[in-house]
Amino acid sequence: MKTKFSRRDFLKLSTAVAAASALAACAPNNENEIGLPFESPENPVINPEAQTPLPPVPLAILALNRLTFGIRPGDVDLFNSLGTNDDERFINFVTQQLNPDSIDDSEFESRYNAAGFETLHKTHEQLYYDHIANNQYDSNNEAYWDWYSKPAYELVDATLLRAVYSKKQIEEILADFWHNHFNVYFWQDDGVPLLVSYNRDVLRKHALGNFRQMLEGVATHPSMLYYLNQNNSNDAGPNENFARELFELHTLGAENYLGVRDPNTIPKDANGISIGYVDNDVYESARAFTGWRVDDDIYEYENEIGKTGNFVYYKPWHDRFNKLVLGKYIPSDQPDMQDGRDVLDLLAYHPGTARHIARKLCKRFISDVPPDSVIQAAANTFIEFRSAPDQLKRVVETILLSAEFKQSWGGKVKRPFEAVVSMMRVLNSESNRIPSGFHWMLSQMGQGLFERRSPDGYPDSREAWANSMSLLYRWNAAVALTENWMDDEQGNIIRTDVYSQTPAEIRTATTLADFWISRILNQSLSETSRNAVIQVMAQEYGWDETLPEDHVQRVLSAMVEVILMSPEFQWK
Amino acid sequence: MPKTIIPRRQFLQGCSAAIAEMVGARLTNLAFAKQDNPYDILVVVFLRGGWDALNVVAPIAGDDRGFYEKARPDIKISDLLPLSDQFGLHPAMRPLYDLYQQGKAGVVHAVGLNVDTRSHFDAQEYIELGTPGSKSVASGWITRHLQKVGISSILPALSTSGQPTSLLNFVPTVSLSTPEEFSLWDNGLRDSHINALKQLYQGDSILHRAGARTLDALSIVSPLSDGGYQPANGAKYNDDEFGRQLKTVAQMIKLEAGLRVATVDFGGWDTHEYQNDGNGGYMADLLNSLASGLANFYLDLDSGYTDRLSLVVVSEFGRRLVQNDSYGTDHGHGNVMFTLGGNVNGGQVFGTWPGLNNDQLYDHADLAVTTDYRQILSELLSKRMGNNDVEAVFPGFSGSYNPLGIFR
Repeated sequence: MKTKFSRRDFLKLSTAVAAASALAACAPNNENEIGLPFESPENPVINPEAQTPLPPVPLAILALNRLTFGIRPGDVDLFNSLGTNDDERFINFVTQQLNPDSIDDSEFESRYNAAGFETLHKTHEQLYYDHIANNQYDSNNEAYWDWYSKPAYELVDATLLRAVYSKKQIEEILADFWHNHFNVYFWQDDGVPLLVSYNRDVLRKHALGNFRQMLEGVATHPSMLYYLNQNNSNDAGPNENFARELFELHTLGAENYLGVRDPNTIPKDANGISIGYVDNDVYESARAFTGWRVDDDIYEYENEIGKTGNFVYYKPWHDRFNKLVLGKYIPSDQPDMQDGRDVLDLLAYHPGTARHIARKLCKRFISDVPPDSVIQAAANTFIEFRSAPDQLKRVVETILLSAEFKQSWGGKVKRPFEAVVSMMRVLNSESNRIPSGFHWMLSQMGQGLFERRSPDGYPDSREAWANSMSLLYRWNAAVALTENWMDDEQGNIIRTDVYSQTPAEIRTATTLADFWISRILNQSLSETSRNAVIQVMAQEYGWDETLPEDHVQRVLSAMVEVILMSPEFQWK
Repeated sequence: MPKTIIPRRQFLQGCSAAIAEMVGARLTNLAFAKQDNPYDILVVVFLRGGWDALNVVAPIAGDDRGFYEKARPDIKISDLLPLSDQFGLHPAMRPLYDLYQQGKAGVVHAVGLNVDTRSHFDAQEYIELGTPGSKSVASGWITRHLQKVGISSILPALSTSGQPTSLLNFVPTVSLSTPEEFSLWDNGLRDSHINALKQLYQGDSILHRAGARTLDALSIVSPLSDGGYQPANGAKYNDDEFGRQLKTVAQMIKLEAGLRVATVDFGGWDTHEYQNDGNGGYMADLLNSLASGLANFYLDLDSGYTDRLSLVVVSEFGRRLVQNDSYGTDHGHGNVMFTLGGNVNGGQVFGTWPGLNNDQLYDHADLAVTTDYRQILSELLSKRMGNNDVEAVFPGFSGSYNPLGIFR
């Protein structure tokens, strides 16, 4: 996971910092008074169990909050049209979402076409040829790095557009899940443009498919080969980076790591396979994968290597001798790639992997600490359908149709990416290309898209995101979106018009607050919170007084922002 | 490309001349009393990825130099800056070398975890939870320390990179990148927003409490948000992530708001390949950024603050003695730690050197651990942070506590 900060990165950061400083200079003009801290210092440690109990919500609200990137106006009606009772509607909704090809997404497709992406249609080989091997610009030039990073930046944009506008929402959630599970950092060396084919041809392709196939797709994709340094691993001194994370993050998980121990002392299951892994399994697997590399001789100094940018099995680098992995003997001189494939089989079919993947999916869809019953049910599906082409679809279906799912309201706090996308969705914000400031704001929240540097992917628990910097920029995003501050020099813009979405007959502070609370939260607020929202709308006017139009125009957005900033909007 | 964040047009729209005038006035208008803190301010720098201890502080003499050179034909470091008869410092760390010679910086070698793991994420979690081998505790070691000594200030803990595990579930932690970036945006109804947020974020959940804390933090930090900070003594922070973080910590220390602990993260140390490659070397660049950051931080605070400063540099593990064939090193075990501060018994290499002969290595592969990392942190807590209750912070460790004498 070694990564170099590219020049591009520095530029990006320094302009962001400069702009932010400029902005901060005009922000606060009060708040010099510091009284006692609002947060009580007598009780400085949080009890992780403590939670303000959330009133239950209709299944439609739970399902749409959890299985989409946020509820758009009209979504609840659509959901309710799917059947005559909640169970029927829910099953139909899940079935539809798990069969994305059945969904008419033409509206999104028109938007995507209008966005005018220049590189996202390119095949892997084209991406490599155009943006790496034959980048026509001088590498001392800004233009070179712009061209080099263009596909990955376009991917970031397209990912945001999909999350906001595509109707295939579970597909988007799973694309996000798997990119984090098999994380590759945007700025990993050597192959930045290839992030496009990695995301499209591996992660999205198999997101509802078969895990073993996805795993081999990952293990042979140049993005991963570069990111975890597999590309240089050879028999003279294997590089362990990929093999280590393959065990720890991609398959068995740290919960099945038994440490630095003699592999012969590890208990075996009925098939003679070790119940967990030790360091020796990592070393032996690193040997098994030697020679799995990229066909990337762009400077033409290796005889047998071309420059297609494709995966290549390079036999001269392969360690041909026998190996012992998880108790299984791998003989010498197997056919090409067989050693590595044996390791992938062992890992993909291991019950420890089934539970590890099942737990992570339950954590995404149910709660930070999901009940063991649903984890085991999902793991059982994972094992039973291990060879099925729709194995992962069945696993997700097991989780979503479980009894545990229906009782899980409030089990998750939206992560920053989900939070800001859900703001755009609920506000009906309009955009064809996302302005750069939006991505910068996500980075400030700690979740820049594809910018997780270490291979573990972004955390999926509330503790990771309930901090002041992240929350502050979530609030700032509510302001920036509602106030229409999001545009950039390239003409990319996000437009939000809350005024025109407010019926003209609603003109008191109370009715305006209730309208927007219901619209944004799909539930009611406590009396205190509701009053706080009303007061923002009312300002110096009475709560039930008809407000002058210029007051509504001036203050409405501030009230909407406060609702978006509320804790109730962050739970799901 | 993220060139513009909020266009100039809107910046101007929202920024009246009146506001601009007030910005200038704010710095002189600190409304809170200077907060007392009789103890040191602890700064924990965590190098994520497992830094290559054996190339940071390498043997310079004897058999061990031979073992070292043989194991690392392509990546061994020469031109080391002598720390003792036995060890030398990577030349890219020169900015810190002066502080070592002045006795302000110390080194502990062959330090680390007493459990068997070569996993980044396990090792980081064990170190930060303070419970090697177990992840069941719901608080970090710094959380328990602050709980033990009690909190009386408005800004006890700062993180410049999210919420670190060492401060897990410690609510008063303020996380921010820079004071300039830490501002709440508004369309002119800021007071109204803040009043409403105070109502909305009353509650016990982690989210409610984080929101309340964010509102407090805005008040605390607002005097610094104009970006006009001038480091003392001509200190010049690098314009990199690490430099910016340390600059933020220095500002928050000088705010005199009772800061006890700050955590700083520095990533990119997982040098599996080409660690010495490129212009001066990938790892040399990291080391230079580290040493330069620390030296400038110390210089900046050498204006009345260093007598109350204790800084430690930790990483989850060291790396394998033998290099791999991609000119890098894989995950290892024993590590090196640095300490910095006005009350460090610096200029020495502490710890018991286990040697690099094959049978002296951990698992016949890595530098062994002869000093538990908790020794250093326990000594620091006890001598500099007013906390003698090692057991409360590091459950199960007090029986093994045996200070090395690295702090006064």
